This record gives sequence, C-alpha cells and structure tokens, in this order.
Amino acid sequence: MTAPRRLRKELGDLQDNTLKSFRDIKADDENLLRWTGLIVPDNPPYNKGAFRIEINFPAEYPFKPPKINFKTRIYHPNIDEKGQVCLPIISTENWKPATRTEQVVQALIALINDPEPEHPLRAELAEEFLKDRKKFVKNAEDYTKKHSEKRPAD
Amino acid sequence: MDMDSDMEMEMESDNDGEYEDDYDYYNTGEDCDVERLDPKRADPEYFEYDCLTVEDIEKLLNERVEKLNTILQITPSLAKVLLLEHQWDNLVVVEKYRQDANALLVTARIKPPTVVTDAASTSAAAAAASAQLLKLGSSGYKTSSSVVSNANSNVPQYRSLMCPVCASSQLGDKFYSLACGHSFCKDCWTIFFETQIFQGISTQIGCMAQKCNVRVPEDLVLTLVTRPVMRDKYQQFAFKDYVKSHPEFRFCPGPNCQIIVQSSEISAKRVICKACHTCFCFKCGMDYHAPTDCQVIKKWLTKCADDSETANYISAHTKDCPKCHICIEKNGGCNHMQCFNCKHDFCWMCLGDWKSHGSEYYECSRYKDNPNIANESVHVQAREALKKYLHYYERWENHSKSMKLEQQTIDRLRQRINSKVMNGSGTWIDWQYLFNAAALLAKCRYTLQYTYPYAYYMEGSSRKNLFEYQQAQLEAEIENLSWKIERAETTDLGDLENQMDIAEKRRTTLLKDFFPVDT
Repeated sequence: MTAPRRLRKELGDLQDNTLKSFRDIKADDENLLRWTGLIVPDNPPYNKGAFRIEINFPAEYPFKPPKINFKTRIYHPNIDEKGQVCLPIISTENWKPATRTEQVVQALIALINDPEPEHPLRAELAEEFLKDRKKFVKNAEDYTKKHSEKRPAD
Repeated sequence: MDMDSDMEMEMESDNDGEYEDDYDYYNTGEDCDVERLDPKRADPEYFEYDCLTVEDIEKLLNERVEKLNTILQITPSLAKVLLLEHQWDNLVVVEKYRQDANALLVTARIKPPTVVTDAASTSAAAAAASAQLLKLGSSGYKTSSSVVSNANSNVPQYRSLMCPVCASSQLGDKFYSLACGHSFCKDCWTIFFETQIFQGISTQIGCMAQKCNVRVPEDLVLTLVTRPVMRDKYQQFAFKDYVKSHPEFRFCPGPNCQIIVQSSEISAKRVICKACHTCFCFKCGMDYHAPTDCQVIKKWLTKCADDSETANYISAHTKDCPKCHICIEKNGGCNHMQCFNCKHDFCWMCLGDWKSHGSEYYECSRYKDNPNIANESVHVQAREALKKYLHYYERWENHSKSMKLEQQTIDRLRQRINSKVMNGSGTWIDWQYLFNAAALLAKCRYTLQYTYPYAYYMEGSSRKNLFEYQQAQLEAEIENLSWKIERAETTDLGDLENQMDIAEKRRTTLLKDFFPVDT
C-alpha cells in the first residue's frame, strides 16, 4: 500500500511549512485518509472569514484523486449547497499521481479568491456574479459573516 | 432462403462488381456513354468499401509501422505514436520529420516543449536522462541505470532516490523516466498503468508529473505491465484508438460485430456489414440517412429525443374513419386505408379521400406554412413552430412504424406462400418475386422516412418546392407498391414489377438531385 507512506510524508511537509491561507491541517485520529483544514482566503468578499474543508483520500491514493468537501457553508458560484466543489486538478481525467495535496489546496484557494463563473456549480450565483457584481459581493459578504468561522489571530 | 439473406442479395447488387464489368466491356470505343458507365453517376448510392477482420486491419497497420521504421529508423512503439497523431499517413510523418524533427516530437507529445530541470528532479540519474535528449532510434523511455552506465562507461553506480509518488527511497536502477526526465519508480509506474488501463486509457497515458503531458509509449507499458489480462486489455484499447484515428476505418456498429469497414472515400454513404448486415452511414456511423446529411440528421434525432413525449401525446395511435367515425387502428404499413366498416378509401396521413391521391397530385407530405406568420404574436409563432415540427415528426414516425408493420406483412406473406406451395399452386420459386418486392419497398420507405428531416430543415424556396414535389411522388408510388404487395394474390406479376420499377426510379431521382455525391 502506497497511500499511508505518501500521506504521512505530505502531512508532515504541510505541517512543517505552514501556508498562510491553509491552516490547522489534521488527519483523523483513526483514519489517515480523512483530513481537515481551514481555508483563509485573501480576496473580498471571502476575506471576512475562514472555511473548514475536508479532504478524503481514496485507498488507491495517489493513483486516484482525493475529494474535497466544504464543511462551512459558502456563497460561491463553484461550490454547491452540499459543499461539493468542482476542481479540474482533481478530476479523474486530469489527475496525476505526482500532484501533491499542497498543489491541490493552492488550486482551491485560487478558485475561492477568483470564482470561475464560466463553469459554475450554482448557475444562479454565476449569473449574479456576472450581471450584478455589487449585489453578489454584498450577498457573499453577509453570508460569510453569518456562516463562516473566525479567522486565526495572526 | 430467409428474408435477411434475400435483402442482402438485393442490396449488395448496388455495390458488387457489375458496373466495372460493364465498364471494361464498353470502354473500348471512344464515344462511350459516360453517364451510363460511371457508377457514381448512375447510382447516387454507389459506394466502394471492404469489410475487414481485426487480423486484416492489424496486418495493414503493422505494414505502415514497419515502413516508417525502415525510413526513419525508429522503434515500432514510436512509429505507432507518430502515425496515430497523423491519421496513419506515412508521407506526412516523413515530411514533417525532415522539416523539423524536434517540432514533430513535441506535437506528438513524445518530447516536452522544454526539458524539465527543476529542483524536484535533480537526482543524478534524472538530470542525465533529461540532459540526454531523446534520440530517435532509441526506445521512447529510459531506465536510470542505462543512463548512468552510459555516462560512466564502466561500473554503474546507483544512488538512492526518493520516488515522488510513493515517497519511498530506492536504488536508482528501479527508476524509469520519459523524455521529460520525470523519474518514478518501477512499481509506481506499473500501478499507474494498470489504473489507467482499467479506465480504458491506453495510447493517451501520460507522464505522472503534474502539468507534464508527455505520452507513455507502448513499449514502456508492455515492459512493466506483466499481468496477461491487463496486457490484453491495453492492446485492445490501443487497437481501438488506432482504428479510430485512421480516417478510412470504421468499426461496424452492429452489436458484438468485430468487422471494420474500410473505404478510401470518406462520405455519408451506405455501408452494409457483410457479417451482421447492419446498415449504417460510413461518415458518422449512425443509421444510414440519405438524403439528409450527417449534421442535420444528428440535429433532428436530438430534437426528436427532446420532444418525443409531446409528439407521442399529441399523435395517438388510432384515428377515426373520416366518413363513419369508427375507430381504426393501423395494422399494415400502407397509408391507403379502407375502412372495414363503411369501405371508405382514405389516406391515413391527411385523412383525405384516397381518390384525390391516386391519380392526381399527391401532396399530403407537404407542410403548408401559414403565410401571415410574421405578423402573429410570439405565442402563435411558437404554436406554429410546434405544428410544423409535428407535421414532419408524425410522418417520420409513421413511416418508421410502417416499415415495422411491413416486416410483419412479409412474415404473413411467407406463411401464405408456404400454404400455397403445399396446396400445389405454384412452386416456392414462383413466389420469390414477392420477397424482392417487399425488400424494395423497405428500401424505398427507408429513404422516404429520411426525407422528412431533410425537408424540415430546408428553407422555403423553389428548391424546397421541387424537393417536396419529388417526395410526394415517391410517397405516392410507395403507397401503391405497399397496397399491391399486401394484396399480392390478386395483383398480377407484370403490374407489380412495373410498380417496383417506378418506385425505385422515383427514389433514385430524388437522391440524384438532393443527396450530395461528391462530399
């Protein structure tokens, strides 16, 4: 089994070099295949809060891609109400076994900061994002304040 | 003889060698009749093709690969990649190679656009591999050991390396890399290949590094993957990719059919598989659809799939007799109906009196646009659009149903002929003409069915008028033929043969005028 050794290495690397926008990275006590972490975006309207995500690795990892789920609700065209996110880097067709979780998380942070309304999961939010940016930003900010977690102090 | 083989004989006569024989025979004089002798002009559906087996195709492909090997001095594995990327055209590959071999290898994804020299792969072996650019003639991959021993020329020295995929340290001789220099251990490559093959990926397997699109050639896969099941799967999938990339080859769409059809003319012509008798369009692989072209039929079928529920709801399966209003279910293919109750003759399509169809101008196949439509409201326009679509859809569906019902008529015919032969009225051979007539009817009605999508997407013009006129003529003759076949015992042979001739002439005329021959 390749997964445990590779995951332990990746987890160690991530905990040693802490990223500013991805904190609090932990693997489940019983299950190394389930990680959680806190996304701390830089760009408005999401820079008012932080978002908890869960990363689930398949047993075949790294030959099959991980899945990402948002535990914190977020007002975003590319993330649906269930917390599912569509990220090309971890789609089955594009997946490369040498891709590290850090690269996946970087891609996710980039998507949060700059939504891609061209291929949305929530069409109505994509439309609002394109047609009435002011309204979108206002709604997203209100939503972030209401639902998101507190940002770390530093 | 059963119906299938009978139909095959009838249809194959379009494509067998008879025209060429004619050509040779008549082609001695100079003032020969070209119109008559060129099979393409004489028959708008004429198409030359071969039905080949997997072995035939493998032989053909291998010949190409070997030819390229000898010209360019490269491995079969690389030759396959280059041919796959260039529609199996040896000349193009050789010319591109002579112009700019590097560019050719980059576009075929054998070499990366720029060789990676980042920190992640600065191990001695990987650096050596990436520094030594892939030479044509070597196989498409390198083991680190070969590189190291080349560099040092005597005893190979292996350093312990960490594989970025499994994060375990191993000796350098366990590592393999492609022209891009991304080095991974043997076990990881093997598991990766098996995962990819399991998903049906073969010739498109790429390097495992993020953002690297260098392709893994066949020889590396087959060196590392040792399980026979996976090797077989890989070879099957790769074969599919090769056939699909070859413009002259098509897989027969028949269920479980192994035949591959080959033709040097890539056009929307009819192919009948010699093994399973499936009839399809060579260009798009869908059901044959003359006179409609590939894009239009695709549009039409998508539209029908979307709208069929509405259409089904609106066009019920039964109709009332226009005279006595008794409910009638259609049980034969012919649209010339005779009410069993009041004996009124009428047309199933338009419910008009059949008398006006028989001798005079038959135009119930024509859709009449409402001339004031531009001035009407959106609602009325939408309703009109639906009405127009339903007009064509009903006819399309109706002819499709008629074909199925006529198949049942043939079955009944067979039974009747059997009993006739048993009772000594004629021999089996005496009644064969009826099967020929039925096969011709099916062929004509098939074409007629596919004229409706063509007409639906045609702009109103004098050409459309001509088309609908010819369509109506064809439809009228087909209904006559169907009527005569259903009442075969009382129809006389000469009359039936005459009717067959007229119907087929109408069909050919329509195809000649509207089915593009040279595309």
